Amino acid sequence: MGIKRGVSLYSYQQAQFFKKMDWKDMIREVHDNLKTDGIEIIDEATIRDYPFPSEQFIYDFREYMARYNMKAVTMDIYLDVHQFRDHVMNYREAAERLKNDIRLAAKLGFANVRPLCLVPIEVIEMALPVAEECNVRMGKEIHAPLPIFKGNKQQPKHGMAAALDFRMAEQILELADKTGSKHVGLVPDFGIFQHHPSQVAIDYAKRHAKNPEVIDWILENSKDYTLDEMPVVLDEKFPNHGLDAGTVERMSLHEMSGDPEDLKKIIPYIVSMHGKFYQMTEIPGKPGQYEDKSIDYETPMRVLRENGFEGYIDSEYEGQRDQQDMGYEKLPDEVEEVRRHHEMLKRLSEG
Amino acid sequence: MFDQYLIRKDSLHNVVEDGKVTGFKFAVRIADYRGCFLSLHNGYYINCDGVEYPKDLQRFEINGKPPRTFDEIKTCVWEHWNYDDEGWVYVTKEGGLAPGKHVIGLQQSILAQYGYMPWDEEWVKNPPVPGSGAGSGKTAVICQFELELQND
Amino acid sequence: MAIKRGVSLYSYQQAQFFKQMDWKAMIREVREHLGTDGIEIIDEATIRDYPFPSEQFIYDFREYMARYNMKAVTMDIYMDVHQFRDHVMNIQEVAERLKNDIRLAAKLGFANVRPLCAVPIEAIELALPTAEKYNVRMGKEIHAPMPIKPRKYNEENRGMRRTMDFRMAEQILELADRTGSKHVGLVPDFGIFQHSPSQVAIDYAKRHAKKPEAVDFIRENCTSYTKDEMVRVVNEKYPDSGLTEMTVEQMWLHRSCAEPEDLIDIIPYIVSMHGKFYQMTEIPGKPGQYEDKSIDYENPIRILRENGFDGYIDSEYEGQRSQQDMGYENLPNEIEEVRRHHEMLKRLSGEA
Repeated sequence: MGIKRGVSLYSYQQAQFFKKMDWKDMIREVHDNLKTDGIEIIDEATIRDYPFPSEQFIYDFREYMARYNMKAVTMDIYLDVHQFRDHVMNYREAAERLKNDIRLAAKLGFANVRPLCLVPIEVIEMALPVAEECNVRMGKEIHAPLPIFKGNKQQPKHGMAAALDFRMAEQILELADKTGSKHVGLVPDFGIFQHHPSQVAIDYAKRHAKNPEVIDWILENSKDYTLDEMPVVLDEKFPNHGLDAGTVERMSLHEMSGDPEDLKKIIPYIVSMHGKFYQMTEIPGKPGQYEDKSIDYETPMRVLRENGFEGYIDSEYEGQRDQQDMGYEKLPDEVEEVRRHHEMLKRLSEG
Repeated sequence: MFDQYLIRKDSLHNVVEDGKVTGFKFAVRIADYRGCFLSLHNGYYINCDGVEYPKDLQRFEINGKPPRTFDEIKTCVWEHWNYDDEGWVYVTKEGGLAPGKHVIGLQQSILAQYGYMPWDEEWVKNPPVPGSGAGSGKTAVICQFELELQND
Repeated sequence: MAIKRGVSLYSYQQAQFFKQMDWKAMIREVREHLGTDGIEIIDEATIRDYPFPSEQFIYDFREYMARYNMKAVTMDIYMDVHQFRDHVMNIQEVAERLKNDIRLAAKLGFANVRPLCAVPIEAIELALPTAEKYNVRMGKEIHAPMPIKPRKYNEENRGMRRTMDFRMAEQILELADRTGSKHVGLVPDFGIFQHSPSQVAIDYAKRHAKKPEAVDFIRENCTSYTKDEMVRVVNEKYPDSGLTEMTVEQMWLHRSCAEPEDLIDIIPYIVSMHGKFYQMTEIPGKPGQYEDKSIDYENPIRILRENGFDGYIDSEYEGQRSQQDMGYENLPNEIEEVRRHHEMLKRLSGEA
């Protein structure tokens, strides 16, 4: 046993955009070159004619997965509350979408679905009978800036961190324990162990900043201010910095939102994990070995290993997004990035 | 995201309807990593050579159907824009564009979300005006494209 | 718990015909004006492209029901033995249609299906494993002139129903008890408590009779003859009345085919009920209170209440049919009829 490796096809979104790879090419890459079997998909990116794919698509997907002996690990699902435009979906309607996605995941052979962290816990509970019936586990994502457990953390009042409920993981554990169901759990994303903005995000921000030195100033001083304080300080120091709130928030990152030690308590509830990363660079002095300098993989993976985690970590490459303001010849190679990521995953999961 | 690639470079054409040039069109992709329910599409911020063309001058062609206004698109609550597919944006401009190069600034407004947000009820009553950043997907900036008008 | 109220969208068939309401408008009417949640449908009236609706239709239906917090109570299903035209369906084929309807009902979220009284008990039994698997209960309809428990009176007045098996309810109870299954039961229709022809049916019969006085004769002398005798007497007395045997039967009605007390023994087997009615008129001296003068609701509902029935009674308005030989301006208002019916249901079932 041991930790298993997989890939979210999200990692190859740019290759899909430019029609260089379709989902079948991606599956072959995972099988032939990464020598593993875990596949995760974004429903609305891979499933032709979501939410009503043809029976042919469904059969084709199952057939191709069987051909290469792959495992359909997790299907990532969404909640667009404005679908009907004449009203905001209520919780029962949100649950209908969730249930429909669960049924669809079952048709495609997926073991799990990943509802987003913003999906209300009541909605998850309403869909639980269908998850049980279809034998599909729901893993709610723990995505940065969420912690695993709130502990003494102060929740920021602005930005993405303000919209999220920091007790999310606790709510899920409570629901799982209350119902005794194995069909509700968590999908922690390694993004919660990111402790610094990635170099590609820094470079993007600088290319688009009126005054790139402001970015450097944030990076140098972020440790001294909270996320709520930083925008105020910037406005005083650089009145015309022109940076949007999202950029300031990203550049201010200086500590992990999740504590790797907290993983111990949630391991039995982990459905699968997202291996978020931005850029794999060679470790100085260790040819052929790679790391993402902005995310701690070593500590969390040690904790997972030592505590018997045997589920999948699915690579989720996201660095391409910060480079697509440049010409075609400067775009990163997603296939290479994911291969490097798997070098690391393999190495760290062996200890 | 896909900042430089949201409009296909060789797709700018004038639109001829009933023998008259009624505007121009170009081919777009979604500024996200997933497709969307078509009803969520709330139009574009479009600036061509310094002139803004608001949503009511725009139509959208997708899924093999004739171009539709964004009032029509709003009612397509079960239709889906596949991630892989190119759509065409039609802009009404009598006489169309002159031959040569044009600069188009573009930002999409697609009301896809990850869950409930504080502005939800407001957006039902008053959808955001494209260009505000609302619904811009993973591309927060207004992207600029220099395009050559193609000969038909 | 208490008796619950619902509506069969059958009630709005005329509004659907004239495209004044679609199923979404009907659901909103039930939620917003009747203040209740029970929905029953006719499969072949509501389901676009039955028996193969699109996935979109199914999702749309579940979505809309969820939006208004409605309960999909019962789907009314049918059996057309001539579908294939080159042979009459055998029992196994009938069961296949029933099973397909059960799967479809499950997809749409319905708790029950209602097979008709004419469906052979053997076909019901063949479909029972499917009903169990999809957790959909089959409620066989007890429709007039079927009694709950057959009595001498019923046998004397079979009229055109010479081949009908009046032991239907008994057969269902026997099957449920033998298999121990909760997934087979009954859907009694309040039409079995109809004791006289409705005024709208009398008016229709008179408008179409060559001799309207023949209708009056039947009404005045109905208690003096059995059904078969009445058909004979009318033919002798009014040889050119133009009344069909069916019409004579309808006009002869003077006693309900079922006894309300018979409900007591079948309550545990009731899946849901049909609230058939023809015309709701104001009760003299009680403004805002309505009744159907041709159907006894009071006694059956009292018995249901006293014996702890807590299922749905779904309104089934049928009076529009007897008025559609007239001009558009004379057509009844289905919405108003159902609203009045719910005033009555609410009042009789003791809903505050």
